[in-house]
Amino acid sequence: MFPSLSSRHRTLAKMSGANGKKGPSSGVMDWISSACRFATDRNDFRRNLLVNLGLFAAGVWVARNLSDFDLMSPQPVT
Amino acid sequence: DSFGHKKSSDNETEDAVSLFKSSVLLRMGSVLAASSPNPPPPAPGTAAAPGLTVPPGFGMPPVSPVIPPTGATSGQQQEAENPLPNPGAFDECHRKCKEVFPMQMEGVRMVVNKGISNHFQVNHTVLLSTSGDSSYRFGSTYVGSKQTGPAEFFPVMVGDMDNSGSLNAQIIHQISSRIRSKLAFQTQQHKFVNWQGDAEFRGEDFTATITFGNPDVLVGSGIVVTHYLQSITPALALGGELVYHRRPGEEGSVMSLVGRYTGSNYIATLTLGSAGAHASYYHKANDQLQLGVEFEASSRMQDTSVSFGYQLDVPKANLQFKGSVDSNWIVGATLEKKLLPLPLSLVLCSFLNHRKNKFQCGFGVTIG
Repeated sequence: MFPSLSSRHRTLAKMSGANGKKGPSSGVMDWISSACRFATDRNDFRRNLLVNLGLFAAGVWVARNLSDFDLMSPQPVT
Repeated sequence: DSFGHKKSSDNETEDAVSLFKSSVLLRMGSVLAASSPNPPPPAPGTAAAPGLTVPPGFGMPPVSPVIPPTGATSGQQQEAENPLPNPGAFDECHRKCKEVFPMQMEGVRMVVNKGISNHFQVNHTVLLSTSGDSSYRFGSTYVGSKQTGPAEFFPVMVGDMDNSGSLNAQIIHQISSRIRSKLAFQTQQHKFVNWQGDAEFRGEDFTATITFGNPDVLVGSGIVVTHYLQSITPALALGGELVYHRRPGEEGSVMSLVGRYTGSNYIATLTLGSAGAHASYYHKANDQLQLGVEFEASSRMQDTSVSFGYQLDVPKANLQFKGSVDSNWIVGATLEKKLLPLPLSLVLCSFLNHRKNKFQCGFGVTIG
């Protein structure tokens, strides 16, 4: 009924552990994958909220720090 | 507005409130602003009332918050005891930031302003539109002779009517030194769509307003909006808004809180309510450059947006430029130039929606 596992499959099954536990590298990869999916999911309200809050903070920083130029100042003589 | 879309019955209170606000409190301003796209700079000591634009020489008088002192010493004592300034109107908390952003305009618009006397002015507006209907509007402004302060005159009556018979009208009158009242009407052809009355009380360090919107005694429906804004420190003001909405078989209320912090050259405002949040930051870099950043989140629409805008004033060139970019991939700009010594103003406007591949441009001329 169930196909017999090849030797390669048996090795992989042993690597993942007898009771189905994942290794630390797989957990980190999963976390990175879910973070990337969250960051690129335009339909997620929480994601959009965080991105736009970050953009708002960046806009406030730009307004406070990058707007100190004087248009009416005399041009430097070269 | 960004929060105003009709949805299911369990949000009907917020829907009705948003619809009322967008149709009356904002549309009155936008319609009247449309009839005069180049609002004159307010005369010293005056301020434009929310949503109204007035022709030159008709500075919209603010309510004077200070009772004239009976004597110099009593005035000084009063000042020492009560150093907190009046925080202004609740509706004006986000106004400074909003004024930085360009106003979207489509088609060709020509406005002619004609002063008849010191109290009365009329204006004619022709709008040629590619997307909607072209229209003609006739507007008039009357400023009374009751003087309550330097360059403050009441009553003020502003109205305009278009070629289909739709009317917008406002009457503002200062009843006493601290109380100002306003009546506003809006019709679509012969049918009254919106009618509201409000009264504003300006104390030493607070402002309280009550507004009755579309009251209908026969049907038993209406909207009541109350605002309160209190100066906590000379820089910090906190307040709240309560909206009560009633119609046959249904009633509800919505509350929101607002906080505003005023720095030396910036204003930061935050509004939090059950409908969502609205944060704005206004920064005046110098006499030529002003910037604004806005964040809006709607819990019902499950949507957020951020806008960044700036305003560039070059008085020597009689030029004003406004630009904006937002998180919906909309980029817009407005250029306004006065053609002195002629009494002419040119306005060019352009908006690009990159996500939807849509482009809109407008051109306007104001005479007088």
